[in-house]
Amino acid sequence: MAVKRLIYSVFIAFVASVATIVILASLSPRTEKSAAEKERLISLDELARHSRVTDCWMAIAGNVYDFTNYIALHPAAPAVLTKWCGQEATEAFNTKGYGSPHSPAARGMLPKYFVGKLREK
Amino acid sequence: MISSFKPGNLVLALLGFLPLIVALLVGPPQNTPTLAFLGRAAGILGLCFLLLAGLISLRIPGFDLWFGGLTQLWKVHHVLGAAAFVLVMAHPLLLAFASARVSIQAAAAVLFPHPASWSAWAGWAAFAAMTIFLAPTFWFFGQPEYQRWKALHALSGVAIVLGVAHAVPLGRSLAGNWGKTIWLGYGAMALAAFVYRKFVAPLTARKTYTVVNAQTIARGVVELTLAPDEELLNYRAGQFIYLTPLDPRLAFGRNEEHPYTVSSSPREPALRVAIKDVGDATHALQTVAAGGKALVEGPYGDFFPVKKRTNGELWIAGGIGLAPFLSRARALSPEDTVDVHLIYCVQDETRAHFLSELEAIAAKIPGFRLWKHFFYREGPLSGAFMFACCPDFPSREIYVCGPPPLITAARRELRHKVSGARFHSEDFTWL
Repeated sequence: MAVKRLIYSVFIAFVASVATIVILASLSPRTEKSAAEKERLISLDELARHSRVTDCWMAIAGNVYDFTNYIALHPAAPAVLTKWCGQEATEAFNTKGYGSPHSPAARGMLPKYFVGKLREK
Repeated sequence: MISSFKPGNLVLALLGFLPLIVALLVGPPQNTPTLAFLGRAAGILGLCFLLLAGLISLRIPGFDLWFGGLTQLWKVHHVLGAAAFVLVMAHPLLLAFASARVSIQAAAAVLFPHPASWSAWAGWAAFAAMTIFLAPTFWFFGQPEYQRWKALHALSGVAIVLGVAHAVPLGRSLAGNWGKTIWLGYGAMALAAFVYRKFVAPLTARKTYTVVNAQTIARGVVELTLAPDEELLNYRAGQFIYLTPLDPRLAFGRNEEHPYTVSSSPREPALRVAIKDVGDATHALQTVAAGGKALVEGPYGDFFPVKKRTNGELWIAGGIGLAPFLSRARALSPEDTVDVHLIYCVQDETRAHFLSELEAIAAKIPGFRLWKHFFYREGPLSGAFMFACCPDFPSREIYVCGPPPLITAARRELRHKVSGARFHSEDFTWL
């Protein structure tokens, strides 16, 4: 009987946690970009100007991201990331250099760092 | 009570942790943050335990002996199922937490990604299926009605398929082809066990018997005699069967399988089962007419392990828990070397079924001693009573079968006097 009550409690805790995360996500300051930001076009030349650890932009699948504040959070060593600063990095992101794509969770983190779309030549 | 080594449990433990061990050995080389790693590990273990719980529901007679009997195997099934449920809940939460330091929206996106990510949503569908059949299992709404609970458990098949559909595309910890091999392999085994149990066994493993006699032992207890249409079941005393009555005249319980201990001696030409009225199905069987058909599947159980019968024995029977001991007592002959004390515990004289038969056996078989324990007169079973009947009980193999309070009382009284390996009990709740 004790086990049954424990499982029931765990279930309620799970539902409450999931609901809390979803509610907080919708109420928290959004990382959504303004319309102007979403429409900003960035050329490869402009992208290349942000090629340092302290100012690191990358282009992935047509979108440009400012990863400056993310480098410290990246699981692998910063050097793995920073050699792509200022460059088109779609292939590197999709393969990590050895055929292994990033997880869906990682892709879910991208929107926060979006700064504009890559200008088509 | 798992009191001695069971090879089946060892195999299960190896299978249970194999995927996680493989993930640790061949997984992605770079450091996975702790929360993300724990989230993936919870998913791997949770799915693995779910698939193994399905696999051991195969219920092939004899298979349960590797686990110490079917009742022990069901206990393992319960533990695996409960652990799977908890781990499957921990899995998405931990993964969401792992994304939280980027943003709360990233965490929410882990839980509820874009609808195009169907494999993630397959995970939610699997969890929903699990919740539907596990909620009644864990009494979320009070005790479930047995047949409805059993029918709902069939959703486990859906959960198995959806769980594998979620893990194969999404799994990242089992690098290369390991993930596909392991999950499709385990999944296929679990699904095959499910299909066998639900669709094949009812047609091939159940044998037809005819009810040739239904003897009312007392009010609320009937003993059925079942003659096989083909060959008689090959069983040991103390084992049990699943009986599915087919008689269209039965008010309840037709086409429902329920477990009953076989009360006949294996040497008899027909099976006998003693059935107590405890619900609709058993109530209907109290007045079943001879001539009806029934399906029998078995035998199951390892209440009297073969290798244990060297010492003297103490049998403690409570109420209808007498059945396995009746089977053994009826199999005794004066030529056998017998050293058995049977303490038969019932409320009062009116509930002492089969007593005259037991007294006749005691008179005929030297070495078989019968003691009566009436609750109204003696109160709960005590160590003092056992000592008075059977002073050398610490050196005997002790077998207890009866309602849970009796088993608890016997275990408590004997805890410090008898080693765990010599104490055997069987409890039929929720088979």
